Amino acid sequence: MKAEEEQLVGRSPGQLMWIRFKRDRTGVISASVVIFFFLIGLLAPVVSWLYGKNPYTVYADERPELFDSAGVPVQPNGGISGEFWFGLEPGNGYDVFTKLLYGIRTSLGIAVAVTLATVLTGIILGVTAGYLGGKADYWISRVIDFLLAFPAQLFFIASMPVVVSLFVSPRDETPVYVRVVALILVMWFLGWMSLGRILRGTTLALREREFIEAAKVSGAPPGRIIRKEILPNVVTPILVQSTYMLPNFVTAEAGLSFLGVGIVEPTPDWGQMFSKASTELVMQNDITYMFFPGISMIIFVVAFNLLGDSVRDAFDPKTAR
Amino acid sequence: MTEDLVLPAPRDAVTDAPGEPLLEVEKLVKHFPVKGGFPIRRTVGQVQAVDGIDLTVHVGESFGLVGESGCGKSTTGRLITKLLEPTRGRISYRGKDITRATRRELAPIRSEIQMIFQDPYASLNPRQTVGKIISGPMEINGLQPDGGREKRVRELLEIVGLNPEHYNRFPHEFSGGQRQRIGVARALALEPKLIVADEPVSALDVSIQAQVVNLLQKVQQELGIAFLFIAHDLAVVRHFSQRVAVMYLGKVIEVGDRDSIYTRPRHPYTHALLSAVPEVNITGEEAAQRERIRLAGDVPSPISPPSGCRFRTRCWKAQDKCASEEPPLVQLSGNHTGHLTACHFPEDPTIEARDEDIVLDPALAALEEGAEDD
Repeated sequence: MKAEEEQLVGRSPGQLMWIRFKRDRTGVISASVVIFFFLIGLLAPVVSWLYGKNPYTVYADERPELFDSAGVPVQPNGGISGEFWFGLEPGNGYDVFTKLLYGIRTSLGIAVAVTLATVLTGIILGVTAGYLGGKADYWISRVIDFLLAFPAQLFFIASMPVVVSLFVSPRDETPVYVRVVALILVMWFLGWMSLGRILRGTTLALREREFIEAAKVSGAPPGRIIRKEILPNVVTPILVQSTYMLPNFVTAEAGLSFLGVGIVEPTPDWGQMFSKASTELVMQNDITYMFFPGISMIIFVVAFNLLGDSVRDAFDPKTAR
Repeated sequence: MTEDLVLPAPRDAVTDAPGEPLLEVEKLVKHFPVKGGFPIRRTVGQVQAVDGIDLTVHVGESFGLVGESGCGKSTTGRLITKLLEPTRGRISYRGKDITRATRRELAPIRSEIQMIFQDPYASLNPRQTVGKIISGPMEINGLQPDGGREKRVRELLEIVGLNPEHYNRFPHEFSGGQRQRIGVARALALEPKLIVADEPVSALDVSIQAQVVNLLQKVQQELGIAFLFIAHDLAVVRHFSQRVAVMYLGKVIEVGDRDSIYTRPRHPYTHALLSAVPEVNITGEEAAQRERIRLAGDVPSPISPPSGCRFRTRCWKAQDKCASEEPPLVQLSGNHTGHLTACHFPEDPTIEARDEDIVLDPALAALEEGAEDD
């Protein structure tokens, strides 16, 4: 009897998607890689505690015997040793391993925050435009068109100092959190439109479906229709789009930090490590330094994009790529 | 399946005596604006989807609404269920004017007017289980049946001929006919007094059509629910409805009880429609020959309908009067009570073969001419 009951429980579209996803080997592997990166970011303090170092210690002062007069690690390959797994940074002599862990933590944290903010904005504006139609739809769509016409990278670079100066006077020292908030704000401002547009289209199509009319006939208020009938049906595009958006935000954030308008020393950051790697001192004396942030970011972005493709395939098995 | 299942009696069946008007529609008009022009968009025309119709559906009655595609029957159904706002006219339910009622004002009678949709693949939310779909309306209207909503949903599933164990399944696991049964169960969940069925079987397989129509008929008779049955299939309507209205281009052109419409029609369009129903004569016996009318052309555009009688452009009896004067919907001499026709030059009340077939389609006429010459 028990077994019979279990057999009759239907599989939801979400469960079917999960079953399809589990069969996709690329998807499962890239998902584990992505999860691994998020775990590193989350557990960075724990790992560095076990490892016994932190990314702020200036080893050039603490252990001057490891560096030559120019501040370059004496040992080959940037001072990689049993003690400093990924070597030491020329100049200040930060530990590269913990710096990378914390850098991943900062970059992923910012990217996740931007993704959440853009998804929320995209849902609110996109679903509103699609469901209400008419004037609301017209104006929200025009705003989307207007913002899409902005050159994003240029806008980020130009507006970052402006946004930062909104919070603190240029003469004072800028706290780290202000830079983080400014980065999130700037990327959110130009990040939500693509999802908003997709959700508007999907909602527009859903609104004409008969099950929405059925809900109206039974007297459902608009809030309930949006929550119970429309939102569960737009989960697919939201999930697929956010898995594409998140790695983009990671690279965008890294790009800004590389250009010097994002996170600055001594706060560890993925992109800022590239910036460090391209300075004359590091370029000429320690080419291995570039290796660690570079390889890890390539692996992360490729894995996340493959995951995005797999998620899309799992949700939407009929469309060819 | 569930042929001998006894249906529970409706809650307050005593309050309604059959024959009393339940839903009255007067001079109902729905025009959709056509926007165009550049750079300033403005209304350049009106699609006159429904243009002044009168209908009355009595308590417990099944009322059929037939007509060609695009004649406004679905719009009428959507107006009555308040999915569309009427342009003009009056809809009253049990004497209460609901034409301009807001969602809140409508709340007390919402549960009494329900709808069954045409496309069973679009009318069920793919992300909800069958249980959720059917209990949704009860939740919205705060209905708390004895024994809980889940028990009631299982009962409803049984009434519509589905396994109550399907409670936790999702719509994609069902066939079209089963999905339509779920749609019927959802409409029944609120114990309605009137169900607007908008072409409920036209998306289904012919073999399944009969099952669903029989289910609807069982529900209609045993629960005493009034039906507004919208369809273009005359045979289905004949099987299901006690009274029938024929629509053409936004107007009701003939209305009456089933027998009057099907055996003693007066309007030329009704004659043409009936004559277009294919006839299967398996036994080879010579049944009573039916008249043969083949119309030509399409329904005129509802943006600029013909003046006077709207059917005159395709009618073989049209005269000058038809273009200048719109025929009123009245009871013609020799008709039964309640059999109303809107025509200046009505046909004889019979569907038997006449001396000469009326073939207005020039291509078909030429073909038949050629066949006779050979």
